[in-house]
Amino acid sequence: MLATDMYEFRNYLRETGIIFCYSGYMTEDILVGIGKAIKQKLTMDDEDSKTAKAVFSIFVEQVQNVIRYSAEKETKDNKTELRYGVLTVGREDDKVFVTCGNIIKNPDRDRLKEHLVAIQKMDKAELKKMWKDVLRGETPEGSKGAGVGFIDIARRARQGFDFDFSEVDDTFSFFTLKAFI
Amino acid sequence: MDNILIAATERSPELDFNFETNTFFLKGESYPEDVTEFYGAALKALEAHVEDLDGGTLNFTFELIYFNSSSAKILMSLFDMMEEVAEEGNTVNIVWVYEADDDNMEELGEEFGEDLEKANFKMKAIEG
Repeated sequence: MLATDMYEFRNYLRETGIIFCYSGYMTEDILVGIGKAIKQKLTMDDEDSKTAKAVFSIFVEQVQNVIRYSAEKETKDNKTELRYGVLTVGREDDKVFVTCGNIIKNPDRDRLKEHLVAIQKMDKAELKKMWKDVLRGETPEGSKGAGVGFIDIARRARQGFDFDFSEVDDTFSFFTLKAFI
Repeated sequence: MDNILIAATERSPELDFNFETNTFFLKGESYPEDVTEFYGAALKALEAHVEDLDGGTLNFTFELIYFNSSSAKILMSLFDMMEEVAEEGNTVNIVWVYEADDDNMEELGEEFGEDLEKANFKMKAIEG
């Protein structure tokens, strides 16, 4: 039973093209460790270095978003803090994807959605301009103080990205972003 | 001002700030756990140093393989600082070194460089 369950779980992941899967509290050490394994795997698959670098870059931004912003967190003595998220990296058709999901607070949902819809519509030049504006600390119209991480993801995801929200209850929603390279 | 030399780690670059020769160098990967903790003191020292610079020559070389978005904010502030130093009458030479097959790093260098008017900017491709 134990092995069957786990094997089925593994098969489900494989069938959906998932090469890496992590669900749990994310830390900077986990980021470095999984990041190395992803690089290794893509090199072994003879993935071209441009794709490998873009995948790594998006992976870092996605995981750091969870580490910094996931609303599902555990704090001890107001010091150590762990935040929960789910990450998958895999292949779909001829694309590599990096998907990350985490709980957010409902009031943040509209702001996040507005920001992502806006950057999804932008062309390369507009993304560059917004990237620079945010880096210089000027808040561009429509961003309402969102960081530069998602703009970075949009710039590196050469096959685009999808995102979605699933309401958990009156307070929280689950947010997912899937970037294609 | 004491020179600052920090060895590279797998997630932070080699940082070599030589205030005697006015030679500054960043090389490697940059996605430190906390960018402020990594760059903060060095940037502060550099800012204080350039304030006293009068008709001097300053060389800054960037040789980065990868940097995350938080590091990009630091790089932007460095480029803006260098432009200001040049505007004040100093000679500033910035070199952006990238691996020849890394289009993304080349593009990022161009994007940082295109806003410079007074500071000299050069791109340099090397074999990866």
